[in-house]
Amino acid sequence: MKEEKLEKMLNELADATAQPVRNGLAEDIKHRIPHRLIPHRGGLDTINIIVDLRISRLAAAAAIILTIVLCANFFGEKDSADGNIFHNSMLLIRHLSGREDAASNGILVGRSKYEHLLERGERVEWYGSSIDPQDSNAILMHWQLSNGKYGVLFVDGREAEVNPERLIELMTHMLQKKAK
Amino acid sequence: MEKKAKSTEQEIELAHLISVKQGLDGSEAFWEQKQDSLAARLKAGERAAAAELVDIYYKQIYWFMRRLGHNSDVSEDLTQESFLHAWHRISQLRDGKALNSWLYRIAANVSKLHWRRNKGREVAGIEGFDEIDSTEADSVKVVYDEQLEQLKNALARLPIKLKQAVVLHYMQHLSIAEAAEAAGVRQGTFKSRMSRALKTLRKQVI
Repeated sequence: MKEEKLEKMLNELADATAQPVRNGLAEDIKHRIPHRLIPHRGGLDTINIIVDLRISRLAAAAAIILTIVLCANFFGEKDSADGNIFHNSMLLIRHLSGREDAASNGILVGRSKYEHLLERGERVEWYGSSIDPQDSNAILMHWQLSNGKYGVLFVDGREAEVNPERLIELMTHMLQKKAK
Repeated sequence: MEKKAKSTEQEIELAHLISVKQGLDGSEAFWEQKQDSLAARLKAGERAAAAELVDIYYKQIYWFMRRLGHNSDVSEDLTQESFLHAWHRISQLRDGKALNSWLYRIAANVSKLHWRRNKGREVAGIEGFDEIDSTEADSVKVVYDEQLEQLKNALARLPIKLKQAVVLHYMQHLSIAEAAEAAGVRQGTFKSRMSRALKTLRKQVI
């Protein structure tokens, strides 16, 4: 069959299927127009997309929670690899708050990282409760890496990978400063 | 007699659609201006604009649903649902030119979700239409009607994406660009879907 004929037939089929529509349909739709047309809300749209998939709302909620947990784990992995996210959040804290508050906020953020590493079964030590927050070289925590070295997190948000000897040096320096 | 009345009603509706589309003075520019103004008013949250949108599009969206193979009751429900979704997605509307594709895209998604929800429960098919009145002379009318019937059935059997492409372009008369946007694909992909659909239809209609 030629394309023109097929197109003509499709047009004819379109006309044939343009049946009269129930009179009240337009009014029914108009009655459902909200009093205030809702503006775009990104977060809710995401939820709506999940709900639109017509899985139950409970399943949608579970999917959202699972996504958050997965994201948290993903960022956690990245965090331990190069500390970018942690470092960026420290910069943000420093930017948003004053310098003094930044130290104590840094301890709080460091604590959450400590708990996260602990949950993952890492061998991690926490010193945040006994350090001088004003000493930028104070060690908040350290944890053992698979290559035999140690990851060190300072109170100012810096992160470093050091060998055991350097770790001892840093710890000694911190204790000496505290003793003074 | 009844058939003739129905035919006249269809002609009036078609004329109404054409007059709406062409604007009162028949110019394309007038239509575009009207669409732009409607889109702007919608984005500003004007309820009267929403009612106007319903007046212009409710029949087209209903027919779109029917042509995609939903029965009349379901088509009514899905038409209402499409507009409800539209109210919540007004900010995604770019401008008047995109009004057509924006609304059809919402409607297409509503239809798709319905098929997904009712997989196996509802039979896709352009059923329920009365005898199609062809314009051919009596001698070839029987054959032609048979071909139209075959085409209707073949269209109903097409996979959703291909059926959607044919319906959007050939039956809802959207341009390729508008129809591709409504289907949420690039124009190339849309053309390829149409070509596959037409090839399948051609094979099935003798």
